[in-house]
Amino acid sequence: MNRRVLVAGLAVTLPLVALLVVSLGRDPHRMDAPLVGRPAPPFALRPAGGGQPVTLESLRGRPVLVNFWATWCVPCFQEHPVLTAGSRRYPDVAFLGVVYEDEEPRVQRYLREQGGAYPSLMDDGGKTAIAYGVYGVPETYAIAPDGTIVDKHTGPLTDGRLRALVDKARIGAMVGQGSQ
Amino acid sequence: MAGWAWTRRLAYVYAASMIAANLLMVYALLARDFSVSYVAHVGSRAVPNWVAVVSLWSSLEGSILFWGLVLGLYIGGATYTNRDRHPEYMPWATGVWLACAAFFSFLVAGPAQPFLTIPSPPTDGPGPNPLLQNHLLMVIHPPLLYAGYVGMTIPFGLAAAALLTGRLGHDFLRPLRTWLMLPWAFLTVAIVLGGWWAYEVLGWGGYWAWDPVENASFLPWLTATAAFHSALLMERKGVLKGWTVTLILATFLLTILGTFMTRSGVFNSVHSFTQSAIGPTILVFLAAATLFCVGLLATRVDRLAPEGGLEPSVSRDTAFLLNNLLFVLLTFTVLVGTVFPLVVEATRGTQMSVGRPYFDRMAVPIGVALLFLMGIGPALPWGRASRVQMRQALLPPLAAAGVFTALGLLAGVRHPWTLVALFCGGYTAQVTLGELWLPVARRMRAHGEGLGAAVSGVQGRARRRVAGYLVHAGAVLALVAVAVSSTEGITTEVQVARGEAVTLGPYTLTFQGVDQLSEPHREAVVANVAVRRGDRDLGLLQPRMNYYASQREPIGTPAVRSSLRHDLYLSVLNIDPEGRSIGLHAMINPMVVWLWIATLVMGLGGLLGLLPSRRVHAAAALAAPPAGEGLEAAR
Repeated sequence: MNRRVLVAGLAVTLPLVALLVVSLGRDPHRMDAPLVGRPAPPFALRPAGGGQPVTLESLRGRPVLVNFWATWCVPCFQEHPVLTAGSRRYPDVAFLGVVYEDEEPRVQRYLREQGGAYPSLMDDGGKTAIAYGVYGVPETYAIAPDGTIVDKHTGPLTDGRLRALVDKARIGAMVGQGSQ
Repeated sequence: MAGWAWTRRLAYVYAASMIAANLLMVYALLARDFSVSYVAHVGSRAVPNWVAVVSLWSSLEGSILFWGLVLGLYIGGATYTNRDRHPEYMPWATGVWLACAAFFSFLVAGPAQPFLTIPSPPTDGPGPNPLLQNHLLMVIHPPLLYAGYVGMTIPFGLAAAALLTGRLGHDFLRPLRTWLMLPWAFLTVAIVLGGWWAYEVLGWGGYWAWDPVENASFLPWLTATAAFHSALLMERKGVLKGWTVTLILATFLLTILGTFMTRSGVFNSVHSFTQSAIGPTILVFLAAATLFCVGLLATRVDRLAPEGGLEPSVSRDTAFLLNNLLFVLLTFTVLVGTVFPLVVEATRGTQMSVGRPYFDRMAVPIGVALLFLMGIGPALPWGRASRVQMRQALLPPLAAAGVFTALGLLAGVRHPWTLVALFCGGYTAQVTLGELWLPVARRMRAHGEGLGAAVSGVQGRARRRVAGYLVHAGAVLALVAVAVSSTEGITTEVQVARGEAVTLGPYTLTFQGVDQLSEPHREAVVANVAVRRGDRDLGLLQPRMNYYASQREPIGTPAVRSSLRHDLYLSVLNIDPEGRSIGLHAMINPMVVWLWIATLVMGLGGLLGLLPSRRVHAAAALAAPPAGEGLEAAR
């Protein structure tokens, strides 16, 4: 038995194998959200179908959920009932939809057919989506009463995940302090 | 001996059943039998038959089945050719191969299950990944890559047999080298074909991105190349036995690591298959194989005692040692860069990626050093060289080094590393061509033979030597082409309206509008770009966007006009629906063609090295020149 070979061999290979084991559950497509913990980019967008522009500023003091979506996006269709029910269940939270790369008539028709419980805003030119670093729809941002983004969810929401986002948005200030 | 006979039969049975299973799957794919889950997964009535056959390896489960086929062919072939040779090693080697075969059979039958029956089969399937339908190279690249990857199982088994028996005699070097050379040649060609495919299909204008999966194919190539060189030193001096065996074991482990990387979902890449239970299973195999190798080395390596020694000197021996050191260093560099993002995420929870700058900064100096060493090594004699010998050997190639550098400067090359690469490339080119030419010239002088007769005589008598230097010549050409093409290109991204022209270098590109094309499996919008160079009309280049039913985002296909000097490379970034304007990415990539030519030369060298040598009763009258003993065997 050559101990040096044994030790050297294990020293080179074991950490690598251990690293691969640890990484097994990793999702290579997951994106970090660099905006979490930072002030939400402001916006002033008009609702689909017309009306006064809605600003994020005007909602200061309330927890806010911003959901980026589109009519052509299948997962958005799946999470739509979760969001509409949620907006009724949590009336203290301001729900906002921001339409991503879509046309207003299609959005209006979609909302008529599927039912809408909160404003969906037209993001002409996609400036707001770019400011939030939206990678693909749906993406949902939880914003605390002080205007800080406290969490982000990529992909369709479930009731449980929505609940978690709402809770974080409500106690956002504390979460923000705790993590600093 | 009865046991050995039965082991052989088992090897043949494995090969036969894998051939049968794969033929069955090909039949199901061609018959569009959607009750077979794999066919339902990747089959489609809309795709042509060649795409249906290619689908065999286009998705995870099928690729495992195909792996089994290649492994079966290798094991069958290696067992058959050695059926009455090396009786002390072969039972062990075949046992190791069959252990690997058992694992891959388990993978097919257990986690992969491509033959699962679907109770209510769909009437049509989605077809394979559109990227794979986009180019004919996809028919060639994966099988060659598998032939390279899977083939490394054979030298692994032989090396393990040497350790298990505790012997590595001179007679066993030949099968070891042959069975390392075959998958190595496949791997070399496959890696470059993969680069070629990326270049012709992906449209970003490059052929190598240090993507985790590209690295995964490069790692075993590096260790296998190192193993060739240390095997030569072992053959000549009786040293480095344990080291050579270690390199071969590492090569095999790296192929399994590469398989894991593509099939576990841990790494993100254009090449990745989706996540499944196959990943963890391969990881278990990788861990077990690693422990087996480390344990085997620790308990047995001391039995492979050296038969000679090396003395420190400026000689070819030292060049070989340095070469091995550099190859291993490069292997670690690439490995660390590939897995480092995992380390960061596991320890700090944040994502990061190791980009091109790291790999380029680390790999370029090592690559250039290897290029230079490829010239210095063969120029030096074995053993100890006198001062006069050294001067005679090392100074003349500086002529070509100077010429290459001057040519580069004249052509406008200013990048320091590219100039260094040209210098080293010129040096090594002169040494290599000299080594190839000298014996021919001697023969022509000594025997009064014509050029053709002399060439055929030399390659018949010293085939391994010629093969080795051919590979070197290809490698010089490849490294120089890589250096020049990756630093000296020009590129532009513009939005052009119909009728508008842009200039790039000597070319004038005029966008003339678009054509719509309809093919059975896709729709395409083709942009017509007229190319002129000065007053000369060079015709149309037609980069295109392809739209597949199963994919929302279109996939572009670039158009390339190649010449020995440079490629004009056009790809479409966007096309407006009426065809009034396009976003055009235009590039001039110098010397890219030479990379493909270089690979052809390397592949030919590899093939030549595999042919049996006729130099059994070599005439002593034709003494090989001192510097010419380089890659040639002492028999």
